[in-house]
Amino acid sequence: MTEQRFAAGFLFPGGLWLLAFFLVPLGILLAISFGYTDDLGNALYGWHPENYERVFDPVFVPVLLRSIGFALATVALCVLIGYPVAYYIAVFGGRRKSALIALVVLPFFVNYLVRTYAWIAILGDDGLVNGTFDTQIRFLNTPWAVIGGLTYGYLAFMILPIYAALDRMDPALIEAGKDLYGRPWLTFRHVTFPHTFQGVLAGAVLVFLPAVGDFVSAQLLGGPDEYMVGNLIQQQFFAAENWPFGAALTTIMMLFLLVWMVLYLRSAAREAQEVTA
Amino acid sequence: MLNGELNRRELLRGGAGLAVGVGLAGCGVGDTGGGSKAAVEKPIKKKVDGDLVYFNWAEYIDPDLIKGFEKLHGVKVRESNFDSMPAMMSKLRAGIAYDVIFPSAEFAQRLISGNKLRKIDRSKLDNTDLVYSQFQEPWYDKGSEHTTPYTMYATGLGYRDDKVSGLTGSWTDLQNADSGGRNFMLDDFQEGIGMANLVKGYELNTTDSDELEKSLGYLKGVKPKLRGISSDPITNMTSGSAWLHHLWNGDVVNIRNQVDNPEDFKFQKNEEGIPVGSDTFAIPTNAKHPGTALLFIEYMLQPEIAARNVEWIGYPMPYEGGATEAFAGLVKDDPEIEVTVDDLANGQQFENLKGDGRVAWDETWTEFKAS
Repeated sequence: MTEQRFAAGFLFPGGLWLLAFFLVPLGILLAISFGYTDDLGNALYGWHPENYERVFDPVFVPVLLRSIGFALATVALCVLIGYPVAYYIAVFGGRRKSALIALVVLPFFVNYLVRTYAWIAILGDDGLVNGTFDTQIRFLNTPWAVIGGLTYGYLAFMILPIYAALDRMDPALIEAGKDLYGRPWLTFRHVTFPHTFQGVLAGAVLVFLPAVGDFVSAQLLGGPDEYMVGNLIQQQFFAAENWPFGAALTTIMMLFLLVWMVLYLRSAAREAQEVTA
Repeated sequence: MLNGELNRRELLRGGAGLAVGVGLAGCGVGDTGGGSKAAVEKPIKKKVDGDLVYFNWAEYIDPDLIKGFEKLHGVKVRESNFDSMPAMMSKLRAGIAYDVIFPSAEFAQRLISGNKLRKIDRSKLDNTDLVYSQFQEPWYDKGSEHTTPYTMYATGLGYRDDKVSGLTGSWTDLQNADSGGRNFMLDDFQEGIGMANLVKGYELNTTDSDELEKSLGYLKGVKPKLRGISSDPITNMTSGSAWLHHLWNGDVVNIRNQVDNPEDFKFQKNEEGIPVGSDTFAIPTNAKHPGTALLFIEYMLQPEIAARNVEWIGYPMPYEGGATEAFAGLVKDDPEIEVTVDDLANGQQFENLKGDGRVAWDETWTEFKAS
């Protein structure tokens, strides 16, 4: 009993935090999503469920599909780039492991917006790359620039969980794999990758969630046809002053992401059960 | 009242209410948040009554002038910045007290109609007689009782004279001139829809649904020919990504200040119409140091100070004398950048849209961006 009370005490600060900075704002968001805007631009409470009807206007379907497509492409690129990096650090990092991980996290000390602006200077028509190689490649205002910006922005979220999974793995398993099959690729496919798949999945969720709602990359690196859901929502709050519609969009977006999150959590729980069983 | 403004107190109450499962929809949530008439009317004594809490766009005033003001009156200027008018409004709505703010004309009108701005007695403010006659009785502040102008700007097309050919003096040059595919539209719902309305020959501020539908059709036709829709012409033009940009005249001055070949950057005012906008000085009703704020405005309006400020920010101020001469000096290579008295007379100003009209503009722009 006392132990339980002790545990409850431990939960208290976190619970209070969640209540004050998650549940209460979430409630405000929901309340505003049914409201309306007056002539002075003030968001007012009310009962206007039509805000939600507008979310399902077919004009927004391409925006949603594009956001999902960009986010999935970002996840794929992050796996392709992040896995080898994590593998190198975990397996060959030796004493420099911590330093290498610190290097992965280092860019996060600079604001994402500022780093994205740096890409404009690097990739611009008269930018660093085109200037150095005397080329005239048009990098900016393309879907590739947006996906590149997202990949750059969220790569660390992929590297860290994969690194953690690789680091936890018993090296003897790889030895055993080599003893049985011999060839490195088969060992990787049948031993290493399956053992670190949960890390990849965790990374995929950590990258997908912020990438699908991102607006900075599309706004600064994209063109007219790279408009994402994040831009749509940001526009409602900061340009159109239509907080109620922005809040309705946000609510639907959160429900959509929640489905993915639940799927991931169930998969992770199943995996944990299999390991302990 | 059935419905109320979401000031911070109401927001907390609303959120907490929902969190414990009490739906708020349709319930009364307090007062309308408008200021009281008495707070608006209260005369301001022009004397130092504390440090100045200053709220403006970033880099929209010469910082040396702020230092000069601090020294002159022995006060500190506590600066904070907003990055959009709606962002400024949400800070004001949250009840944060600022002494001097810089709302655009449309937002000044809204703040005035919500009783949020103190009256400024111009008879006690030196140099307000220099304000251009077109701004003596502005649409957004009848009687000029609550604001005095800060800057003005005309919207047109900025272009690289050494790169772009085929300009005809029309807004349609944005998509038709040979700009090497480096053409950008402003990411601003008023400027975007306003441009389309002018091209179609409608009133700048039309809310007629048929006309807006046709303007939307025009914008959708322009979109595939654009490289981008951006609110950062300075970065786009100086980085070489843009050779032709829908922008404000002051930005051309700023671009010219930042490049090695300023003579190649020009400004075109378009025959279908020139939207003219302006920003203002204002003192909110909840200002704690309105006396210092009034001294600050008066300090900024001295012709020699205004001239220095114009040279620094690159935007014209609608005041005769030093400010006008300073801007003329800045643009002597390309007088087209100037906003002339004729432009002001022929120009059209964006007005506040109300009710369904506002919703229609919002939906038009959202559909344009999403399409």
